[in-house]
Amino acid sequence: MTTAVGTLPGTTAATLESADPKPIIEPRSEFDIDISGTVGKPFVDNPKMQSRNCNVFYDDKQAIFDVDLDIGKNEIIALIGPSGCGKSTYLRVFNRMNDTIPICRVTGEHTLDGQDIYAKDQDPVLLRARVGMVFQKPNPFPKSIYDNVAYGARLHGLASNRSELDDLVEASLIKAGLFSEVKDDLQKPGTGLSGGQQQRLCIARAIAVDPEVILMDEPTSALDPIATAVIEELMDDLKTNYTIAIVTHSMQQAARVSQRTAYFHLGKLVEVNDTNQVFTNPEHKLTENYITGRFG
Amino acid sequence: MNSTITSTQIIQASLRKRYAKERRFRFFGLLSILISFAFLIVLLFTIISKGLPAFQQTYIKLDVTIDETILGVTKDSEHNALYSASYNKVIKQTLTTMFPDASGRKQKRALKNLVSSSAAYDLRDAVVADPSLLGTTQSFWFLAKDDVDVFMKGKIDRSLPETERRIKDYQLSWIDALLAEDRLEKRFNTVLFTAGDSREPEQAGMKGAIMGSLYTMIITLLISFPIAVASAAYLEEFAPQNNRWVDIIEININNLAAVPSIVFGLLGLAVYINFFGVPRSTPLLGGLVLALMTLPTIIIASRAAIKAVPPSIKEAAVGLGASPVQTLFHHTLPLAMPGILTGTIIGMAQALGETAPLLMIGMVAFVAEVPQGFLDPATVMPVQVYLWSDSPERAFTERTSAAIMILLAFLVVMNLLAIMLRKKFERRW
Amino acid sequence: MEIGQHISQRYNQELEDIRSQVLKMGGLVEGQAEGAVKALLERDGDLAKTISKQDYKVNKMEVDIDEECARVIARRQPTASDLRLVIAVVKVITDLERVGDEAAKIASYSIKLAEKKTVTQMYAELEHLSQLVLNMLHDALDAFARLDVEQSLTVISLEKKINTEFNNLSRLLITHMMEDPRHIKNVLRITWCARSLERIGDHSRNICEYVVYLVKGKDIRHTKIDEVLPEYFPDDDEI
Repeated sequence: MTTAVGTLPGTTAATLESADPKPIIEPRSEFDIDISGTVGKPFVDNPKMQSRNCNVFYDDKQAIFDVDLDIGKNEIIALIGPSGCGKSTYLRVFNRMNDTIPICRVTGEHTLDGQDIYAKDQDPVLLRARVGMVFQKPNPFPKSIYDNVAYGARLHGLASNRSELDDLVEASLIKAGLFSEVKDDLQKPGTGLSGGQQQRLCIARAIAVDPEVILMDEPTSALDPIATAVIEELMDDLKTNYTIAIVTHSMQQAARVSQRTAYFHLGKLVEVNDTNQVFTNPEHKLTENYITGRFG
Repeated sequence: MNSTITSTQIIQASLRKRYAKERRFRFFGLLSILISFAFLIVLLFTIISKGLPAFQQTYIKLDVTIDETILGVTKDSEHNALYSASYNKVIKQTLTTMFPDASGRKQKRALKNLVSSSAAYDLRDAVVADPSLLGTTQSFWFLAKDDVDVFMKGKIDRSLPETERRIKDYQLSWIDALLAEDRLEKRFNTVLFTAGDSREPEQAGMKGAIMGSLYTMIITLLISFPIAVASAAYLEEFAPQNNRWVDIIEININNLAAVPSIVFGLLGLAVYINFFGVPRSTPLLGGLVLALMTLPTIIIASRAAIKAVPPSIKEAAVGLGASPVQTLFHHTLPLAMPGILTGTIIGMAQALGETAPLLMIGMVAFVAEVPQGFLDPATVMPVQVYLWSDSPERAFTERTSAAIMILLAFLVVMNLLAIMLRKKFERRW
Repeated sequence: MEIGQHISQRYNQELEDIRSQVLKMGGLVEGQAEGAVKALLERDGDLAKTISKQDYKVNKMEVDIDEECARVIARRQPTASDLRLVIAVVKVITDLERVGDEAAKIASYSIKLAEKKTVTQMYAELEHLSQLVLNMLHDALDAFARLDVEQSLTVISLEKKINTEFNNLSRLLITHMMEDPRHIKNVLRITWCARSLERIGDHSRNICEYVVYLVKGKDIRHTKIDEVLPEYFPDDDEI
């Protein structure tokens, strides 16, 4: 082999060196990289929810800086980024979950179907009925499976009698792909299910309120790969009727389930693009570094 | 360097010391448990050994000739006349007939004091219920006087010189005579549970104190539980964070738990009696004062229980569109309930055993009647213990211990209740 | 396009290994092509035999690198530039292997041609074409080694020249065949050699296209070079 290389004028060691003019590990340069503004396509033609100039503060500490983003109808948008980049905080802006934290302050314009969700006359209860949420840790109520799913419907009076409620519970469980597994155990406690089933129960619970948007905050981070795959498959089915925004730590998951991917870094939205592009040819250096597992 | 000594060897060398330390610690832990257990055993032993005899009471059988002439009534007399007739004399007559050797005022009085003063009432009740008994001779079991009772329980030593004994020789001869005829018998002491307080030990019972405690506890529970749970829920879930006023309130609630209980009594005296005019010595007043004292205990326990409810459950409810109050009532409180109930029962047990504040508001008075409601003068169990322990009669000593036993039994039952409620309401999440 | 800088040092190492293996394979293939051309032009039968025998080395390298790429995909799930690197490598080595095959073909014709002394007059044109192709291959490998888009585009645009050269040579060879039908067999052999050289040029162009894909994330295959150039060199009118 070495002789073969040796016979080559030009493509020898000299070329190999010149091929990689930079040292293998550069000094960390994350602060040199410009992240003012967002690259890519933060806006879509048929937005379900819109966010403009979003800033979030915890007391005087700013968590989100000037984020503009659209969530399109019936799309799955994935929010990715390193820990503490503000992606979960940003997700909670969309159903005003941050209201429950007294020191949290949100500024900017946020709309759902063009309506300002932070308007004075916007009832957060109604908003949360329209924008459901699934959390990181499966958190079924310590009640029966039936009562878990029926809770939201009872709360908002969505079913007028028992049989309607039964139907609603069944339909929600079917949509969440859980019905066949629990149809004989509806009165058993929801906390007795496996982790993946619990998370699907939480999804069924969210669906039962018939939301238009479902926010998912790392819904599979506590689950094993099989349960994760089932939930991802479920998300794909849900996409036809709902708009989904998902925060995830797993880039592979973002790549698998989403149509668009938004990359957050230090509270700023660095890049939004079609998932295909983000994972093959990201525009921003920071996105590239993050998804390929590089420093910076 | 010490390249010859590996770290494994260093660790091995220190292992023995570490294990010895561990053994020492375990030994001291076990020792302290044994010591406290020994104290408990001693306490229980003394109380039970002293108190057990009180659950028995000596009765005397007398064949009473119900003489119409002594009573001055006939079968056809009015109810009132039957009721107010002098049955004492009949009893006295009976005893004099049985023991004609009694001479002199002193011996005659001693003879009369073989049976309790309640014997006359028992006789009266029997005659009033059935006037046909008049003129006949009937056998009755009467309560023995406390001295006889104490003697029967072996608390008086026969061998002592007469001057040092409460029971004199002539009394001894009567008792021996009665014993010979099987006219003395020890039975289960129902009086202890069915009668109110009395100056006569053999007639004194706990019922008044038990009912008084019950009424007081009801008031305490009704007032302190809702207020405490509401304040705990507000402080945990709704009060603004890092607010100076909230901090001050929190500190004060914690301090309130450490305030000596007698201070609450003074407060009750000043505010409830003098300002609001709540009648003194009543369960209502006692309940109000004890509620004040119980509040901080329940608040602190409830806050801890509410804080322990996982935030993920609350988030889930809020995420589904539940309002904060709905979240509180649907999820937070039910999940916190075992802790709240435990705290409540501990607080109530504390209140049940409390004496000091009640002394200040007149619940220490001698109340012979069993209270019928919240506004009747009453006393409570620990106060009853205090009152009896203060009484000079020998028979009250054992009754004091018996009262403590009853009080302890109530506390044990309450604690069991706490455990059961916790088990019942406890859910995993 | 730094391969380094991954948080995982091993990942760095694996990608670096793949890349240097490809460069090594490129060197080997280039040597094969040069040797084949030399054997052809200098009618060196022995050299031709050696070249022909050495083709297995190229094939083996392709298999090895393929395996390594599959391993990286399975274990690291490369994304973005890493993904493009692995994909580009898988494709580049396919083309390199084909170049090796073409070199072997040229070598095998050279063995036959070395025995005949009659057709030397066509060799001048053949030499010109082969020099062009060898330069193109060299530049393509160089562009890959340095990830040089500009040079890649230059190499891609060379393809037209090679085609013209090949067509000229074909016409010339056809003339020869018509002049002297006895030589048809040998001239056909020379035509096939020219055809192989032209194929090597095509493969070199492919490699350069992968370099553009690798660096820019844009697939420019089956696109006219005139459409691509303004996108990357909007200020540059020529090239």
